[in-house]
Amino acid sequence: MSHADTIPVRVVAVEQVTPQIKHFRLAAVDGSRLPAFSGGSHIIVVMNDVDRVHRNPYSLLGVPAQLETYEIAVRRMEQSRGGSHFMHDSVSVGSTLEIAHPVNLFGLSKIGRKHILIAGGVGITPILGQMEDLHQDGVPYEIHYSVRAPEHAAFLSRLQQRAADRLKVYYDSSGHAIDFDGLLSTQPLGTHFYVCGPAGMIEVVLAKARTWGWPESHIHWEQFSAPPAGEAFDVHLAKSRLDVHVVPDQSLLESIEAAGVEVPYLCRGGVCGFCRTDVLELDGELIHNDHYLSDEERASGRVIMPCVSRARCKKLVLDL
Amino acid sequence: MNVAFKPDETFRDDFTFRNTPEAIRRFPLPFPEDKYMYSVNIEAHRPGPHGSVVEFAIDVDEHYVAECRERALVLKEDPMRFQALPHMMSAQWDCLELIMESLARDYPQHFTLDRQGSQWAWTNRPLGIQQSFTFGDPATLPQQPLEYITRQVQGDWVVMDQREGDLWAEAGMVTTQADWSLNFDIGMSFKEWHGPVPLAHEMGVFDRALKYLLGLRLNEPVRRLNWTMTVNPRLDTSPEMYPKWGTDRASVTPENVADKVHLRVELQGLWRLPRSNGIVFSVRGYLISMRELATIPKWAKRVHRVLRELHPALVDYKGLTRYRDTVVEYLAPFDDGSPTSSGTAPE
Amino acid sequence: MLVTGIKSKPVYTPLAPDLSGRYHLMVGHGVGREPLLRVLRDLRTAAPESGARTRVLFVGSPDEHSASDEVFRSAGAADVRLFGREDELLTDFQDVLTSSVMGTRLYVAGPESFMGLVMRLARQFNLNKDEVRAEECGAAARRVYCMHCQTATENVTTNIVQCKDCNRWLLVRDHYSSRLAAYMGVMVDAEAPGERPEVKEVFR
Repeated sequence: MSHADTIPVRVVAVEQVTPQIKHFRLAAVDGSRLPAFSGGSHIIVVMNDVDRVHRNPYSLLGVPAQLETYEIAVRRMEQSRGGSHFMHDSVSVGSTLEIAHPVNLFGLSKIGRKHILIAGGVGITPILGQMEDLHQDGVPYEIHYSVRAPEHAAFLSRLQQRAADRLKVYYDSSGHAIDFDGLLSTQPLGTHFYVCGPAGMIEVVLAKARTWGWPESHIHWEQFSAPPAGEAFDVHLAKSRLDVHVVPDQSLLESIEAAGVEVPYLCRGGVCGFCRTDVLELDGELIHNDHYLSDEERASGRVIMPCVSRARCKKLVLDL
Repeated sequence: MNVAFKPDETFRDDFTFRNTPEAIRRFPLPFPEDKYMYSVNIEAHRPGPHGSVVEFAIDVDEHYVAECRERALVLKEDPMRFQALPHMMSAQWDCLELIMESLARDYPQHFTLDRQGSQWAWTNRPLGIQQSFTFGDPATLPQQPLEYITRQVQGDWVVMDQREGDLWAEAGMVTTQADWSLNFDIGMSFKEWHGPVPLAHEMGVFDRALKYLLGLRLNEPVRRLNWTMTVNPRLDTSPEMYPKWGTDRASVTPENVADKVHLRVELQGLWRLPRSNGIVFSVRGYLISMRELATIPKWAKRVHRVLRELHPALVDYKGLTRYRDTVVEYLAPFDDGSPTSSGTAPE
Repeated sequence: MLVTGIKSKPVYTPLAPDLSGRYHLMVGHGVGREPLLRVLRDLRTAAPESGARTRVLFVGSPDEHSASDEVFRSAGAADVRLFGREDELLTDFQDVLTSSVMGTRLYVAGPESFMGLVMRLARQFNLNKDEVRAEECGAAARRVYCMHCQTATENVTTNIVQCKDCNRWLLVRDHYSSRLAAYMGVMVDAEAPGERPEVKEVFR
């Protein structure tokens, strides 16, 4: 459930597709076929940087039937903890990386009767994978893609070729915005909504969906966010008998991993619940940044999601 | 493992099924200690000891050809033992790939798979099958993909869709079941189809199992063992056929118990599927008669104690009521009361 | 003996308004009228503006019909449709589902056999447990599916019943399939032919 067999890959193509987004094509170092995957899947890319290891999730945007290479797209984050900068600045054709097997936390509902896919900026990446699945199944769908300006629209020709008039593109620069109220108020039963984009866009969609009476089971979302930074703090791992120092721009999970201790994970983004860890002792407060724990669990101070959460404390002991 | 197949063995009518001494020794005893109660008992499905039933991802043994023939007979009489809801086609192809790849990799003497893009060529020497087809195009196979390939592998296969925080059994080939019905259960959620199992719900077993399975990852399959008992080496003990096999249960006597009553162990495997993101659940049944079991002294003692102390609700649910005592009496002379080593190995 | 008292029997709860929904579709049969009226009134109290978005489909006896239209409307339903027969209601229900939009909540009240058919249709439109509430009332008679000949026998009130097609005596189990909208029936005397428990009325 953690760091099982990774696949060594080599970068076989790099392309700057928008001012901020680079497209990478990866092939297995041993030339073998890569594992098949479902639309919406992501891979964890392991990057050996100068002073630390980055493990970042990136969505697979390729055609599932084509398994000679994987395709990912990385947006250069202004405030990066190093992963996106590493990909943009230190990775070129011939570079080698390690990747984990695909994981899907953003899959299509197989029994959905219609699918509305919403992408904001680089959030188009998992939508591309989902589009390929929908194309194959022949189920009704729409894609609504919002970007700042035309030069920031990535993979437009690929989208247009597959989705044709199911695709609508919205440019902030022209003042066009997705009419979420219109979309949410008029869908037949069995429609599913998928949104991947900035936190603000996701919040708006979730709030409006609630107003229009959609049950949560029909709204699917994925957010690309780096674990929030914070003050440095120290943590003691009881079972491993290790003291770990967590620096401001490394997550608790990353610091624990750097100390050689494995923690189960799936999403590394505070959503899936897999890295849930018991807190044995706390003198201070936990800073919960996840979307998984209940209010009671957070208030209890007894559990933490190390992938995104931190602490401000004199003492913190974890059951690891 | 280069075993000779016994193609004419039968699992009905004259019941000529027997285990060779090698098959007896590799039998997957499900009791690591002298008593039994439910647990989630899942472990990683990694390659096990050479010659064991878990050496390979999917086990092919001396009964392979006979079991495939038996499956074909069941399906001829009752085609509804294979069903797949319409949205499960991609999962069917995932299963076909999993099974073909496993068999060809682990038993190259019997199976060959040649992939050229989406043009695949499959050879199954024990069954005399050669098939070229286009992966992803159902029209190029004589049956739906899941039916096609499960007719060539031992054990039952149930395919689940993952959605709404739950697992739904929505396709399967089920001809060797211990008294449950695909036709009735298809479309049910995880806890619904486990509804009939006593005690386990109160113990939270299914909550934990479901949570675990929802996070099952590609390339990291898991396995567990389940067990019951069957009178006669009959693989098809379905509810559908109950009128046929029901009388078996009342037919056990002290004279025939050794050869009639079989321990039936299910080796269950669970794999995450790549294109559908579903999960496939394999249920592979192994049968051993009490006489065959008793040739392994430790196992005779172990099974004697487990059956003697078994919780009444489990005796009932596993259908052992009519003959449990007769089996216990048969095994008693093999049990001198001495301690048994923990673990399931023959010694 | 065969096991009964198992956990896959569906659980029903008294109907209450689901305020997270925007459109409220209510389907009832016979004595299901009372729970529907109750939830309509509760809905009107909690969310007065919701009335315009409620619809009732109801099938009952002629007596039950006579006052029903007015009773439902005065409880707050904007649209009321009455049917003399179950199959007529189900046909209309399917049309209603085809034109309904996301945000709809379904409330069902009546005997279980009727509700099973309603909920099976609802599932085809991908309405899931978050969108459907059901309260059982009226006859507890079961639809029983014979595992051996795949036929359903209606209105079973006894612990064992003879399959209407193959004539085997079936034990009526608690294992329920929403897809088939029926309970499992397995041959009760398969192990000892002729040995059957006494027939008892148990599902009233």
